[in-house]
Amino acid sequence: MTTTIDRRVIMRAIVVFLLAATAITLVSVMLSDSAQATDVATHVVSADTSSDDASTGATSNTADNILWLQSLVNGLAFGTLLALASVGLSLIYGTTGLSNFAHGEQVSFGAVLTYFLVTPQDVSIPLIPVSFNIGLPLLVGAAIGIAVSAGTGWLQDKFLWAPLRRRGVATVQQMIVSIGLSLALLNFIQWWIGGGRIGLTTSSGKAIDFGPFTLTDTTLISLAIALVCLGGVSWFLLKTRLGRATRAVSDNPALASASGIQVSKIIRLVWIISAGLAGLGGILLALYEGGTAFDAGARLLMLMFAAVTLGGLGQAFGALVGSLVIGVVVEMSTLWLPADLKIAVALVVLILVLLVRPQGILGRAERVG
Amino acid sequence: MDILIAVTREMFAPTTAAFALAAIGLNFHFGLTGLLNMGHAGFMLLGMYGYAITVREGGGMWLGLVVAVLLAIGFALLLGWPTLKLRGDYLAIVTIAAAEFVRFLGRSSVMKNITGGSTGIRGTDFKEPFESLSPFPDALITIGPWQLHGSASTSWWLVLVSWTMVAIFAWVFWMLAKSPWGRVLKGIREDEDAVRSLGKNVYAYKMQALVIGGVLGALGGILWSFGNAVSPDSMGRPTTFWIWTLLLLGGAATVFGPILGSVIFWAAIVLVKQLAALLIPETIMSTTAREPFALILVGVTLMLLVIFRPQGILGNRRELAING
Repeated sequence: MTTTIDRRVIMRAIVVFLLAATAITLVSVMLSDSAQATDVATHVVSADTSSDDASTGATSNTADNILWLQSLVNGLAFGTLLALASVGLSLIYGTTGLSNFAHGEQVSFGAVLTYFLVTPQDVSIPLIPVSFNIGLPLLVGAAIGIAVSAGTGWLQDKFLWAPLRRRGVATVQQMIVSIGLSLALLNFIQWWIGGGRIGLTTSSGKAIDFGPFTLTDTTLISLAIALVCLGGVSWFLLKTRLGRATRAVSDNPALASASGIQVSKIIRLVWIISAGLAGLGGILLALYEGGTAFDAGARLLMLMFAAVTLGGLGQAFGALVGSLVIGVVVEMSTLWLPADLKIAVALVVLILVLLVRPQGILGRAERVG
Repeated sequence: MDILIAVTREMFAPTTAAFALAAIGLNFHFGLTGLLNMGHAGFMLLGMYGYAITVREGGGMWLGLVVAVLLAIGFALLLGWPTLKLRGDYLAIVTIAAAEFVRFLGRSSVMKNITGGSTGIRGTDFKEPFESLSPFPDALITIGPWQLHGSASTSWWLVLVSWTMVAIFAWVFWMLAKSPWGRVLKGIREDEDAVRSLGKNVYAYKMQALVIGGVLGALGGILWSFGNAVSPDSMGRPTTFWIWTLLLLGGAATVFGPILGSVIFWAAIVLVKQLAALLIPETIMSTTAREPFALILVGVTLMLLVIFRPQGILGNRRELAING
């Protein structure tokens, strides 16, 4: 695993980013032409596609906000929160080789559990015909939510993944198991909380004006928490003994095992950290987006895979960089494209990366076929 | 008794046949060649878009079929070109991403005039040419305990056509699987390098399997849309996972596996929902909870199958080891 982000890596990131931006511009030009031809009234800033300079910001609501800068900031914020979820996905892939399709549900679970604990409305648990009212303060609820999320990571590894690894079940087979788990969890959460959109808080936060862009105080606090946690994970991976052991397992499990590292314990720890981070990410994203739903994580799953693949499968820091790039690309794309194509843009980036550089930005060049 | 009628009705319903046909397509991918196509719903959606849009614009039924098949072929070539040389899980991620891309593009507001956006295309816009071919009267017909319409929507006519197509393509699968071509595919599934060392072009064989399976997926999608309508959100990731579940349930790499799997899968879902309605009181499980409950069981079934019986009901354990 690359420990230092050197200049070459940054150059690569910029190249991939520029490629993606070019691709998006091309697609948007084609789409906006067809949109004009079919006379669809979209809310796209289609006037901007004719000139190369998108910074006119004519359609911005607040006059002094520069539209592209606001999108860039939104993208960085979203990318940071997304990184919380995708770092875990990447760590699990790195240490076990599993593409965990149930990771999206881990994200939803954190948010939904917190809603369950903090909402002033009556809630109930499936199969128990009593509805009750918990209504904890948000911070307490979130803390319990994260702790329980981390607990589910431990539980999953202890009773599902560790036995599968001991039986020598192939990783592809494990991947299909995770798909089954994702299907079961998704529907369980829907049963539990219903199909509608739910909000963790009633207020949407106070807007703070930074001149060229605006952020809410909730977003700022979320970002601070996310950055502290991501910093903590980086510190853990780079500076502590356990973190070094984790990276060793990521590099070569057999060799790590031979040098006295207890691989199964490391993997257990990785599951706990990943599930906890995913839960935290779910809560913060729910605050950032002003609500959550049973399928919030499932929607994010493809973005996480895009971020993780972009950064290089199994590279924790790659997932970080990849998430930021994906966040920015997704948010900036709304300058040209309608918002309902956001995720589609990320998927195009994912496919392009696999075409050009399947090992990702931070991955070492190796044969992956 | 009502439950029994509902369950048996589901067994031969056109939806069941449509999923059986799509699963035969996936069987070409996964069962024969070992390709992890996680975007099969994307092929189905493309097929129904191609057919429905062509028919709506006055292109006629046969042109619609051709367009659907061409779209599926193009999509398969586009997907296979970058990914068939990569490791199995890369193909899985790319196919799932591409299928979701098709869905997001189809339901976006930009494409509203072509694909109908998130509401899709109504049945009245494209079903007419197919339904007018029906030899059955335009009224409800009761055969045994089951009552269906003669020719409209989920009809006896559609039942007849869809199961005929399933039978034809099951036969095609059987013929191809035991042909020299099919043996090469199985060889690729077992040991790619060994086949390559025999001078076979593994990449081309994989691509052929991907195209054939994709076309079957598109045809399955068209059959599905005849019984329902074109709706992008019914063809999301869960649909792909259901096809996987029923294929693994029946037994991958077998001729009757996809068909048996589809019949059992859909019958079981109806059975679970009906039994839940009958046995579990409303206070414990509300009406809206029955669907998720049945689908939780689907997910758990998929997990248990892959762990304990990857060969399914009909398969041969030694023949099918999932190892990507």
